[in-house]
Amino acid sequence: MIRKISHILCNYENIVPLFAGACALLFLVGILMLPLSYEQNQLYPKTIDRNSSLDPYDRGGPPFTMVAIHSQYPENSPSAGLVTSYLTPLSLYLSQTTMHLGTTIVAHPGGIIDEILYNTRGLDTVVEPTILLIAFAIASYLYRKVE
Amino acid sequence: MWDQYNLGLLCVLVAGVIGFVALARETDDLHRLLLLDLVEITALGVIALLGTDLAEALVLPGLTVGIAELLALSQIYITKEGLKERPVRGLNIEVIQKADAPAIISGFLVVYGLVLSGFTGGGVAGLGLVFWFMSRGYREDLNMLEMASGISWAIWIFAFFVFMFFPQYWFIALMGAAVGIVLKVTVKMSLVGTMWGEQHD
Amino acid sequence: MIDLVGGVPLYVLEFGDELVYFTPYTITLFLLALTFTILVLISRPEKQVDIAFGGDAYRTKEISVSEMRFRRFMAIACGLATMGAMVTGDIFNFTLFTAMVGITNVGIVAAVKSPHVQDAAYQYGLVSLSATIPLFGGAAVYAATTGSLSMIELMKGTVPAVPLIAKGMLMLGVIGEGMAPFYAAKAEMFRAPGAPYVIMCSLSSLLIFLRVVEIVMLG
Repeated sequence: MIRKISHILCNYENIVPLFAGACALLFLVGILMLPLSYEQNQLYPKTIDRNSSLDPYDRGGPPFTMVAIHSQYPENSPSAGLVTSYLTPLSLYLSQTTMHLGTTIVAHPGGIIDEILYNTRGLDTVVEPTILLIAFAIASYLYRKVE
Repeated sequence: MWDQYNLGLLCVLVAGVIGFVALARETDDLHRLLLLDLVEITALGVIALLGTDLAEALVLPGLTVGIAELLALSQIYITKEGLKERPVRGLNIEVIQKADAPAIISGFLVVYGLVLSGFTGGGVAGLGLVFWFMSRGYREDLNMLEMASGISWAIWIFAFFVFMFFPQYWFIALMGAAVGIVLKVTVKMSLVGTMWGEQHD
Repeated sequence: MIDLVGGVPLYVLEFGDELVYFTPYTITLFLLALTFTILVLISRPEKQVDIAFGGDAYRTKEISVSEMRFRRFMAIACGLATMGAMVTGDIFNFTLFTAMVGITNVGIVAAVKSPHVQDAAYQYGLVSLSATIPLFGGAAVYAATTGSLSMIELMKGTVPAVPLIAKGMLMLGVIGEGMAPFYAAKAEMFRAPGAPYVIMCSLSSLLIFLRVVEIVMLG
């Protein structure tokens, strides 16, 4: 019996189905354990002002005026809240003419996202491009290796 | 207790179970990769259910890690299957290959991207270069591009640590980060563009 | 604060919301990772010898310099990621470091030219990619149910208890990221020159296991 199990485990062809099965099982257990209590006191809560042209990313006021943000350790990031938004000339024009600029997050990252990514949770952002670099190194090494 | 968060979580977990069961039953290697890309969405769903600005900031690294591993894995797949014929050879349209329009358009995009700087600028400039490589077919030296990518990454990370340890020099750090990231994103995008091309030797 | 597995934090380094903290437990693990990274940095790779059975013939396998350099780079990156995972004080940051350990392990194996090893590397890559799903999912459930991602806050006990499912997801994710090396070592030992880089694979996965045990017992 044990030999049979270890024989299945030995073959690396089987480890993907095995792991996927384990994940499916865990997610099923998760469904059974459901309702989880959602903590109301969250970090960086989202406020939505439908009348602003920067809608989901509007943080109130012009840049370089302090806006209160609820970070974990405010004393560690004294300058958080200064950047409310930054717009390229084109997106400034768009923000003045349409109400839907905030729908294009890729082209116009909001101030709060960047403050979280680059200021209060900067270490995440250091690791993330490093993973990208590693993946890219693997891909380009293999790409050039083929004779 | 069954608030929006739990209902959303229920949907995402059910989707995850379906995806994982499919993954467990699939035997073809390529289809496993594709299914995995699909299941990855559930992780982003669980993160997004947080519903705060933090969630949005966590989705970005999550997404990037998924894309990065997908890139590496697909290259491993190509190598392992020994696929050498890659017939994509840029855009075979006579107007694009002969006329000046691609040069003008990509030149404009690159210049505009440099003016914008930062992540957006890198994206715009990179798009310009990708368009250029695709329309002309590439004959560039990948080594140079890779080296530029590495150096700009180093500049960016260095600027980052200046921010953390010497906040009073923020302006230098800001400029370093902007230049670093514009180079990085541009180079990454143009590399991805050229890797489409035929075998380089 | 008394019954902590890792002991009381001795030193806390502040990176905004993400605190890097050192307890006696994490310092030990960190030093171990550091030592092995330095060993990888200075050691010279082994050469495998094939011996024809029943005769005197033997030959050393040829390894290209570029392959060795690439694998050394991956092993060092793996060591750095492990060090980060050992000392970070943030759940999501820990999952990112763990994902990085996973992909560097795949890189260490995938650099070998043998088709068999490539095939193995692909399968481990699939596992390490799918392991990011429970990893990130677990971290997100941590954040949703406690309202915090900081391990220091979990340690203080000021936040609500962490549900079992979040801990389970985190655990399964680490198992997935750390599973590859055991098989990888097996595939490699017989068909490709490995040491000392394969050792780095195994060590890093052992260390992230040890760390996740501490994290799971926090909340």
